[in-house]
Amino acid sequence: MKPQDEFVAARGRDWAELEQLLSASGGMRKLPPASISRAASIYRSVSSDLMRAQAAGYSADVIALLDGLAARAHNTLYSAPPYRLRAVWELIAGDFPRALRRHVRLFALALALFVLPGAVGFTGALKSRAFALRLLSPDMVENMEKAYAEGFSKGREAGVNTGMAGFYINNNIGIAFRTFATGVFWGLGSIFFLVYNGLVIGAVMGLVTAAGHGRNILTFTCTHGAFELTALVIAGTAGLVMGYSLVVTRGRTRFASLRAHGRDIAYLVMGAALMLAVAAGLEGFWSPSALPDRVKWGGAVVAYLLVISYLVFAGRGAGARARRPQPEARP
Amino acid sequence: MPVRREKRVALDNTAEVETPEHVRFRYRVAGPVRRMLAYLLDLLIRAGVLLVLGIVLAIAMGGGEAVLGVLLVCMFLLEWGYYVFFETIGGGRSPGKRALSLRVVKEGGFPVGFIDSMLRNLLRAADFLPAGYVLGLFAMAGDSRFRRLGDRVAGTMVVVEERSRVAPPLTISPPPTAAELDALPQRPPLSAWERETLELYLRRADLTSARREELAQMIVPALGQRMGVLVRDPVRFLALLHYRIAALTRPRADRPATGVRS
Repeated sequence: MKPQDEFVAARGRDWAELEQLLSASGGMRKLPPASISRAASIYRSVSSDLMRAQAAGYSADVIALLDGLAARAHNTLYSAPPYRLRAVWELIAGDFPRALRRHVRLFALALALFVLPGAVGFTGALKSRAFALRLLSPDMVENMEKAYAEGFSKGREAGVNTGMAGFYINNNIGIAFRTFATGVFWGLGSIFFLVYNGLVIGAVMGLVTAAGHGRNILTFTCTHGAFELTALVIAGTAGLVMGYSLVVTRGRTRFASLRAHGRDIAYLVMGAALMLAVAAGLEGFWSPSALPDRVKWGGAVVAYLLVISYLVFAGRGAGARARRPQPEARP
Repeated sequence: MPVRREKRVALDNTAEVETPEHVRFRYRVAGPVRRMLAYLLDLLIRAGVLLVLGIVLAIAMGGGEAVLGVLLVCMFLLEWGYYVFFETIGGGRSPGKRALSLRVVKEGGFPVGFIDSMLRNLLRAADFLPAGYVLGLFAMAGDSRFRRLGDRVAGTMVVVEERSRVAPPLTISPPPTAAELDALPQRPPLSAWERETLELYLRRADLTSARREELAQMIVPALGQRMGVLVRDPVRFLALLHYRIAALTRPRADRPATGVRS
């Protein structure tokens, strides 16, 4: 067993070299191949240095230095798979709808948790204004009644459209993300947000219909709703998948069970976010436009057919089974 | 399949990682305060970017609803995309984390990928509840690796990257005299564990001389008795002991003859 100072003197030069290679600007990818294999070889010797240092009981600073070097070299040499634009296409073309179909039961549950309260909110607000006032703030009630009183036969200013599209992106995708994230509380947060949003949206519809502007709000919401409401339910589904896997662990630890579904969950949330971005565009520009009602109804039919057939059929083609994601296995 | 296993409880804030090649190393896990500082820094950066963008857009587009819309989109991207972007391209480091030498890594020590980063950052919405990351703080307090909910979902942890230096070799001043060395046993009867303790004691630079003295006085009488040596200066005695042990393995002239016990 060498004394510490001698050990440091003998190995210090290699350590300094590795340190320098790791600090190279632009990461290891930019270095010439010879330097990369040099780094890999020093990494291996640093690992054995570390074991020797621990066995010999060298002081904490030496061990910390070696721990740090080994950790950083490990992290750099096993770099993450490169991010590719192709992955976005794969998500849209198959990963997202396939993930949804794998969790179709929880999707059905999420849909029910959203639609049933929506129906309750609608009928309640349609029959009684007091009911709507219990759910919505008085300001909101007033705003909603005013907003849909006129309808959109004259269209809206382009600047206002851009502004509203931005608002929808920020607000709606944010709500969807929260609906998902709170699913970590055994799914309860997602359930809450689904029910709550269902109730509120239903109540607004009912309120405006009761005020006699039902046609206005329906023609406004019918098209983008195909994307927006479906996406909200899908975000809720992702939250429910998270909650479900925390409860039904099949012998794993709770979070290991959750992580086995990590990829699916991520696909669902990203897919929902993309759908909400489409919805925001439609809601900002198409829905408030001066197009005749008949065109808007036609648009809504097309939108629903599109969304449903996409979710049901996309990614079923050849090779879909082969690319079915394996349970997370990393080197 | 990861199976529920008996947990090894670490006493300090380190996490040991074993790589596929059976190399083990330890990470220093980042605690809440350091992470909070990094968060505040990132928050300031994001607010600054939004402010500058707002001013530039207002001047370029002349205000109005459209500017607000673009700003809201930017706000959305900054709120949900900032961390994912920087953690994915920066090897797990947002600017704030970089400044405080923090890094997000997978639990096995691997770099974070896009999906890991996305999950851990989406879950901020849950960690934030009810306000100001209170829940995240509780989650961290209940975990040996200080993982908030987002970290647990994504299978990540935040570590401190230290660039520590090795202390200079131990010296003894003034140099030991022949008389002092003669008074010591040729092979001090110390266990490996005691030698380690001795080395750690001598390498601690942050002790005041009074405390150094006090610590030495706690152990030296026992050692002196064991070795049959009368000790006058305990601190110097420990330094001399170390010198003698180091000399034992040093291939030099001052190495004492082996096999002789005093």
